[in-house]
Amino acid sequence: MIKSAFTRRSLLATGSGLALALALTACGGNVAGTGSSADASKFPSGPVTLTIGADPGGSTDLIGRALAENASGPLGAPIPVVNKPGANGALATKEVGGANPDGQSLVILNASLFAITPLAVSAGETVQIEDYEVITGISQDDYVLVSNASSGMKTMDDLTKAGKKFNFATTGVGTGSQLAQALLFKQAKIDGTDVPFDGGSPAMTALLGNQVDLATIQLAEAMPQIKAGKLNPIVVFSKERNQYLPDTPTAVEAGYDVPVSQFRAVAAPKGTPEAVVTKLRESFKKAFESDAYKAFNKQNLFTAAEIDGDQVAKDWAADAAKYKELTVKYNVDLGGGK
Amino acid sequence: MDFLAPVINGFGVVLEPTNLLYCLIGVVIGMLIGVLPGLGPAATIAILLPLTYGVEPVTAIIMLSGIFYGAQYGGTITSVLLRLPGEASSVVTVFDGFALARQGRAGTALGIAAIGSFFGGTVAIIGLTLLAPIVAGFALDFGPPEYTALAMLGILLVATVSNGSKLKSIIAASLGLLLATVGRDTFTGEARFTFDNLSLADGLDFVPIAMGIFGLGEILYNLEERHNKVQAPAKVANVWPSRKDLKESSGAIGRGSVLGFFLGILPGGGATIASLAAYAMEKKRARNPERFGRGAVEGVAAPESANNAAATSSFIPLLTLGIPANATMAIIFGALLIQGVTPGPQLVQNDPELFWGVVNSMYIGNILLLIMSIPLVGIFVKILRVRAAILAPITVLITLIGVYTINNSIFDIWLVIAFGLLGYMMKKFGFEPGPLVLAFVLGSLLEENLRRSLLVFGGDPAGFVGRPISGVLLLAFLAVMLLPLLQKAVRKTRTPARPVEALHEEKERV
Repeated sequence: MIKSAFTRRSLLATGSGLALALALTACGGNVAGTGSSADASKFPSGPVTLTIGADPGGSTDLIGRALAENASGPLGAPIPVVNKPGANGALATKEVGGANPDGQSLVILNASLFAITPLAVSAGETVQIEDYEVITGISQDDYVLVSNASSGMKTMDDLTKAGKKFNFATTGVGTGSQLAQALLFKQAKIDGTDVPFDGGSPAMTALLGNQVDLATIQLAEAMPQIKAGKLNPIVVFSKERNQYLPDTPTAVEAGYDVPVSQFRAVAAPKGTPEAVVTKLRESFKKAFESDAYKAFNKQNLFTAAEIDGDQVAKDWAADAAKYKELTVKYNVDLGGGK
Repeated sequence: MDFLAPVINGFGVVLEPTNLLYCLIGVVIGMLIGVLPGLGPAATIAILLPLTYGVEPVTAIIMLSGIFYGAQYGGTITSVLLRLPGEASSVVTVFDGFALARQGRAGTALGIAAIGSFFGGTVAIIGLTLLAPIVAGFALDFGPPEYTALAMLGILLVATVSNGSKLKSIIAASLGLLLATVGRDTFTGEARFTFDNLSLADGLDFVPIAMGIFGLGEILYNLEERHNKVQAPAKVANVWPSRKDLKESSGAIGRGSVLGFFLGILPGGGATIASLAAYAMEKKRARNPERFGRGAVEGVAAPESANNAAATSSFIPLLTLGIPANATMAIIFGALLIQGVTPGPQLVQNDPELFWGVVNSMYIGNILLLIMSIPLVGIFVKILRVRAAILAPITVLITLIGVYTINNSIFDIWLVIAFGLLGYMMKKFGFEPGPLVLAFVLGSLLEENLRRSLLVFGGDPAGFVGRPISGVLLLAFLAVMLLPLLQKAVRKTRTPARPVEALHEEKERV
């Protein structure tokens, strides 16, 4: 018994040691690659590391892993996934931004980090899309405004006519959930208090327990409760109706200028050679076309948004400008609890 | 019978070979670390966390909880044989257990402890089975105000009921609260104490703190202490207690189990306090209390039943409310989150297989422990003979690699080292690490929910009193705060020394 326990421990130690050694070699590879980074014919010269700035198990992580799995075949190199959570993904994003631009280190980007978070945190904690070479857009994850079914609130009209003050739960400060609701309620002239929670699940729990009146959470998270009839979907914040919730109008349809979705993309550091970017683009394109990846999107209720990388950079920069303008116009302060 | 269906399904989950295997691994590791002084279940679970990433959530938690209650068994062994409590919760077992061992009745003490542990554990699991769904029924009524009141009660309990000096506990708890404020403000996005370091933007992570303070700190401290303490193990003969011993201790086992169950549910309660309280109660009830400390079987039976019952029942607040009752539960909380499972009101409904699988694994685990503990006692004792010079560096290495793998962050390794040094200094100067770590966990819970509640109430603090559950919790808060003052007043009129105080003195000598 004891022997086996010790063996387990040493196995763990050896395993972790190996991982460490691998990570070290990977770094070494990057350094060695400096001279030959212009030579795209040698790419990939080893495993291509995909860094994810979130904990294992969340949407960003799931997407990254599904993509890595399906793209490594076409690319002809393994794509190990490394989770480096911290500062809403800014930590990992900054780190990869400073890596050697040879295509061997990639990162999954969240649009909110570039377009929304800067509205709430200090400049030192933000990242700029100009510092990255966006390989390709990946998918879109929509936000939905929900109420507790027992409240009877089903449409925007119900809310505007209620003539009461609403407490609305957000998934945190500087998130799409907060921005979308703040803008919507200002435009609809609904009196509301922003109550930030630490992520979608606690926000939804609070709504289910009638601790708050409304919440905006990611569609995939709300779906089971919507299907169970516990939550009423009021509007989705995407530009077009969501395929998984076709009967729910968008905020834009309801007459409010609030197009907010969570987009994700994969990127390399700025200065990655054009040929390397092209090769990566082709590999990801093949991954998008695979049945396994399509099934994954469907299962997790993600909407494909496989937009060309250059277009992604333009879209996100435009969104950032638009959100900034809207918050000024409607006098919305995301750090409003100050 | 609707109620029983998920319970029975849970047994199906436990009896899957993988889960049985992990349950066995968990209780064996638990027992092993229970024997090893210094390395507690909190540190072990934290160290072994990365090992569970690859397995199903239910399997992972079965193993981790096995480590936790297994450690309560193992801790007894060294207390009895070596006067070295492997766990804080076995400290009081030392008094009578070691006395029994010196009388050549080590087997009796260990046997009674094993039976008491089994009984205590089983009572608590039955309580967990029956009570947890009821508690969970109220769970959606637990909003920010209720969590605020709970966190306040928890922090107060941590500060008032811990073992050492009260002032030092409060200092440690305050430090924990302060550490909890590091990071980006959840409500305004303002950076607090981050010194423009992005690694601090999300605040300090619980795991490096726990691993540093409990794991590394204890190892450093034990390296210094060990030479003074190791004595030749007493011989273990005749593990089975006599019928007379069983009869004498049955009452103590029953009382200890019930007391342990209830103390385990409270945040900040847990196994250590339960064992102390059970011992104090038996000593108070006894016709001739002077037997205690000189080899009273009840003095082993009561605390051992209580610490196991409490270890088990401390899962109730975690699994039904998402509130960790102690440091180990806080780590299991983290483990669940890593697995994508949010412990809390929704767990019983959303994930009945996980919930009942884990609960029912405790029945199996307890039976495994009872079967194993008796023949394995002799072997475990031998581990104590591994030289600290070999054992300590291996443990440190595993700790550092373990913490790196959680976030792939070198920064976290520095954190472990810094908190390891802090833990060592705290131990050396008589500060308990428990209050710091618990206050750290409860601190962010308190701050966030207080601010959230005030937002919901529109800034009116009267809202806390107006809600039934938070109102009752606040009453309990007042009671816990005022009770010691009342007791003090009563004590002034009655002079005799109280057993609890005697306990504290003895504990400090250990």
